[in-house]
Amino acid sequence: MKTKNIEIVVAPREPHYVGDGFRVHNFIPSGYRLDMERMDPFILLDYNSPFYFPPTDRPRGVSVHPHRGFETVTIAYQGKVAHHDSSGNSGVIGVGDVQWMTAASGILHKEYHEEQFSKEGGYFQMVQLWVNLPAKYKMSAPKYQGITNSQINKYPLEDGMGVVEVIAGNYGNVTGAASTFSPVNMFNARLEEGGKAGFDFPATYNTALLVVAGEIHVNGTQTVAENHFVLFENEGEHFSVEATKKAIVLILSGEPLNEPIAAQGPFVMNTREEISQAIRDYNLGKFGYLEE
Amino acid sequence: MQNFTKYLKAKSNIEEPDFQQLIKKVSFKSIEKGEILLRSGEVCKHSFFVENGLLRSYTVDGAGKEHIIQFGSENWIVSDRSSAFFNEPSDLFIDAIEDTQVVLISSDFINEASELSSSFRNYNQIALQNHIRHQQKRINLLLSASAERRYMNFIKLYPDLTLRVPQWMIASYLGITPESLSRVRKELAHKNFKPN
Repeated sequence: MKTKNIEIVVAPREPHYVGDGFRVHNFIPSGYRLDMERMDPFILLDYNSPFYFPPTDRPRGVSVHPHRGFETVTIAYQGKVAHHDSSGNSGVIGVGDVQWMTAASGILHKEYHEEQFSKEGGYFQMVQLWVNLPAKYKMSAPKYQGITNSQINKYPLEDGMGVVEVIAGNYGNVTGAASTFSPVNMFNARLEEGGKAGFDFPATYNTALLVVAGEIHVNGTQTVAENHFVLFENEGEHFSVEATKKAIVLILSGEPLNEPIAAQGPFVMNTREEISQAIRDYNLGKFGYLEE
Repeated sequence: MQNFTKYLKAKSNIEEPDFQQLIKKVSFKSIEKGEILLRSGEVCKHSFFVENGLLRSYTVDGAGKEHIIQFGSENWIVSDRSSAFFNEPSDLFIDAIEDTQVVLISSDFINEASELSSSFRNYNQIALQNHIRHQQKRINLLLSASAERRYMNFIKLYPDLTLRVPQWMIASYLGITPESLSRVRKELAHKNFKPN
């Protein structure tokens, strides 16, 4: 099996706020060479690196907004988020949990820091990803997978040097907790210092990682620091990650959909006409209703 | 100034050398969200063509409440035409709702473009008439239309602004309370939402 080399290491950009509760570095699609086509099917990655939010009685967050045409995946590393959507789903995403929301034909949702967390204040650290849907599923029914950490299957590394949490896809004999509409692998590798894990994905899959905590060596040589994002070449299948400091690494690899992308704000479709339709449908209440 | 150049070329038949001279007479400005381009009491010296981003014009009443007159997104022009024409202090504020790049168009520019190009002169006339027509319709809607009709009109005129502008600003533009706007949207959802 051929080694998969790093194509580029991307440093975090200046953070910006999404609503008033998410202070994020955007990697996909605005990062250098990390546009939607290159990263397909991963079309957005916002990373809220650890940030202290002081106590407040009014939870911070993002008010009601729509989505259509893709899935949002929220991975909580620190802090808690409360979520409500127009399909009547609601829940709290706590440390280590994952929320996988299939917006598909359309959903309204809002995301706020959980009430108690807001009152106490604290460090907040999250990843939000948008995973594109194949054209034939873009208008399917919305659904919601709230996945607690205990529901995520874990692959233990040798000598207790860590675990690979399989959020989606497969690692070794372990299958991911989330169901997906196209082949997607999404893992959290939690590595002790010196812990090492190898990963194998088809060369054609778009593959990347984010160092959420610690510091790693990739393929034995290249050092990647905390908060940095690695895009791999579409050649070779195998790479290895070794923690030079105790680390958490988000690993992403997905089969590109290779379909046209038309994106505007919270809608990602295949054509401009479908975007206009999404805007019309949203304005006319066809996404339902959700109280602010 | 890609959008402005495209816009001006579409509206005028000015020969390239003249066009290059003329385009020098406009200036370009990047402003941040919240930055003010015109304050009430000042004379409006420019029309603001939005290259990208979003502007609004509004008045502030005695109680400090804002009333939005107009939004202007990409390829729109926001101005106080009467203040500019009559050289009178404006009642309006103009500021940016998003980080915005604007082209500043002076009356000198408009006069010169009108001299150089009959099609620009003609366009400017039509734009003025359009502006009057729009204002008349807007007065009529504000005086006589239900909240729902005002909203339906708004989403036709500014389809994507519901995604870019907070609810209270849309309510302000429509001359209704944010609660009424919520009610209208709720009723529309009740009527049009079909879960699949």
